[in-house]
Amino acid sequence: MNATRASRPYYVPIGNEEQVFKAAFRRGMAVVLKGPTGCGKTRFVEAMAHDLERPLITVACHDDLTTADLVGRFLLRGGETEWVDGPLTRAVREGAICYLDEIVEARQDTTVVIHPLADHRRQLPVERLGVTLDAAPGFCLVVSYNPGYQSVLKDLKDSTRQRMVAIEFGFPPADVEEKIVVHETDIDHQRAAELVRFGQAIRRLETAGLREVASTRVLIAAAGLIAEGLSPREAARAAVAGPLTDDPSVTSGLVAMIDAYLADQSH
Amino acid sequence: MRSDEVDSGRLGRFGLLASALAGRALQVAPSKPGEPPWTDGRMVFVDADRSAREQLEALAVQASLLAAGSLDPDVVRRLTRRPALARRYLAVEGHRALAVNEPLLPMPVRSLIDCVIAARGDSPAASLTVALSREAIADPPENFGAIRARRLLAPIDRADASSRTHEHVPRRQGNQMPVELEEDEDDGTAADSFSSPVGGGGALGRLLQRMLGVVRQLDGGGPPGADAPTHRTRAGIRGGNHAVVSTGMPGTLDEAVVEGRGTKYPEWDVHRRRYRPDWCTVQEVEPRPKDSAPLSMSDGYGLRRSLARLGAGLDSCHRQVQGDDIDIDAAVEARVDVMAGSTPDEAVYVDSLRRRRDLSVLLLLDVSGSVAEPGATGESVHERQRAAAAALMVALHDLGDRVALYAFHSQGRSAVHLAPVKRFDDDLDSLVMRRLRGLVPGAYSRLGAAIRHGAAVLEKRGGTSRRLLVVLSDGLAFDHGYERVYGAADAHRALAEARRQGTGCLCLSIGASTDAEALRRVFGSAAHAAIPRPEQLRHVIGPLFRSALRCAEVRRR
Repeated sequence: MNATRASRPYYVPIGNEEQVFKAAFRRGMAVVLKGPTGCGKTRFVEAMAHDLERPLITVACHDDLTTADLVGRFLLRGGETEWVDGPLTRAVREGAICYLDEIVEARQDTTVVIHPLADHRRQLPVERLGVTLDAAPGFCLVVSYNPGYQSVLKDLKDSTRQRMVAIEFGFPPADVEEKIVVHETDIDHQRAAELVRFGQAIRRLETAGLREVASTRVLIAAAGLIAEGLSPREAARAAVAGPLTDDPSVTSGLVAMIDAYLADQSH
Repeated sequence: MRSDEVDSGRLGRFGLLASALAGRALQVAPSKPGEPPWTDGRMVFVDADRSAREQLEALAVQASLLAAGSLDPDVVRRLTRRPALARRYLAVEGHRALAVNEPLLPMPVRSLIDCVIAARGDSPAASLTVALSREAIADPPENFGAIRARRLLAPIDRADASSRTHEHVPRRQGNQMPVELEEDEDDGTAADSFSSPVGGGGALGRLLQRMLGVVRQLDGGGPPGADAPTHRTRAGIRGGNHAVVSTGMPGTLDEAVVEGRGTKYPEWDVHRRRYRPDWCTVQEVEPRPKDSAPLSMSDGYGLRRSLARLGAGLDSCHRQVQGDDIDIDAAVEARVDVMAGSTPDEAVYVDSLRRRRDLSVLLLLDVSGSVAEPGATGESVHERQRAAAAALMVALHDLGDRVALYAFHSQGRSAVHLAPVKRFDDDLDSLVMRRLRGLVPGAYSRLGAAIRHGAAVLEKRGGTSRRLLVVLSDGLAFDHGYERVYGAADAHRALAEARRQGTGCLCLSIGASTDAEALRRVFGSAAHAAIPRPEQLRHVIGPLFRSALRCAEVRRR
């Protein structure tokens, strides 16, 4: 996880998110990153961890994530019990940045363990060991979630939300997104511009049978395929239309959009 | 015929592109031969025989006009019956709309824009001024198509008219009608509705919509029911003298159900910020099954998958290969095995797994008159809600949850009718499906009382610790003495009461034209979603159920 030390992960700031994050980090505050999938939340945390020279521990939350998964548990080795730290405990001990991706997916009783860590106490009570760990300097708790449907937004408990500093993420403006696509894949500007324009058009569709719109991530994936020699249309079908929907009628609509926006020859 | 179908399929693919350019849902259909491209705000009609490039240009223009607000009712009303003006307006505004939309347009279309013309107006109104002036304006390119003002206004007028029909229709509409009808016959586009069944509704529909339009013009937005003072006075007196002293709260219905008399529920009076005790009478009315074929019982929308993991209780499972804690008994046995020289069992952990189904769901289906309105694509809201209710019921039943379905409508506070299509203890059989089929929308919706009764039934008969109340409604709470603001506040309150009792609440609007703001007013902080088609249910139902259940769980603790 520390392999990225050598070079800074590529992240283009859109607003003041870097200043906010670094200020919160210095004050030992927890941060919540809000934004749709594939808009650069994880990349942002990686870049921040690099800038701040802290190790980054990432946990992808799922709906069966228990407290023990985060904090740690006893295992049986031979005749002995052995305590194994969970990722959160490890981050607390080492003073790492702990990134809980998609926190709302985790069970409600799980998310409360981060409460004492996220407020002024900065402590992690480890019930099974009967100890309370003070967070090492440099520990920073970062969680992310995707507001998605407006009603699910309320999923994160207010008591959890109010312990955090929030940074909102959206898809980057067209010119920045173009720059990102070019940087990540080395395709030429013209192709990147077409792809981004296509992506922006899909984002206007809101709910036309699509659960999520085309993220920067899928555009980069498509650009990557183009860089490998596929024609733009083939690449977009494979990397954008396919992942976004299973519905045949929506797919044919997307293919029609691809044909309208992208030239059929690469270079 | 065959080639027609192919064409419509080919053009239909452009729907997504058109929606993206317009920033709203839009479909594409073939126009009649020789007709220029045009739109009615929901569909774009383009010539199926043109080349793909020309079709693309045509729909880009029409969609951009919609996106740029060029076809907003205020402007379009001034173009009705003035085709020459509409044409001049299109010549100017078309370029402006394309220019506004330029960052989104595909490369080939961008060459259409004439920057000089686009610069002549900076808003639809400015373009209209240019069009009204005596300036020479070249005809728009052929691909710009045409603006059909009447057809654009038709859905808006219809929506206006239908929103009125949810309210009390003044009885004196009749005598004004003939005048308006004559005027309508003058209208050149009247003949068109016979020849083109696509999009605009049939001749009869247009006739009706004109008739209802009269109502709108008659009473320009006064309070609904204002012409029925008798009702109001009576209600006022009864509320004022506190003849009823009981303060029965929801949930305490107990033996209050007397056959034919119904259960009484309070109602929240938002204007006076207090409850009106025993205000509404809810009666359970047996629904009449329809003899025709029952609705199919398949899990048509693939809901089972998204619901499968919800509502399951956590069970401590012993002797697991992995888990949160060590299972002491298993660990001791394993140790003994090792000491005895045999291979120990490695499953020595306790894990908490979701295995136990622990959920009862009551579906409340709105069958008031407002849901009988045809939706955007012909099917009525009722048909969609019914399909969604059936799918949910079947999916939940298959998963082993307790599920009930009640349909509700009302006719004043003393006659709130709930029809138990399926009670918790009923089997899910074809009789249930026939009852569901037999529901006929009518009357009004006193949403609050229905919710209170539903929550009470759920609490009493549900029999599980997790309870979920699902309201399928267009969100138009309306009844005698139950106008919008009051009704919205009462329904909101009723949902809050249910949640306080640990019942999760969520609300679904399917294919209704109610705007998001109105829905939020009624359904408040409860999980709610508005989706156009039941097929989209599976995308939202998982997160919705989950958040509603979580919300209730937090309250219960």
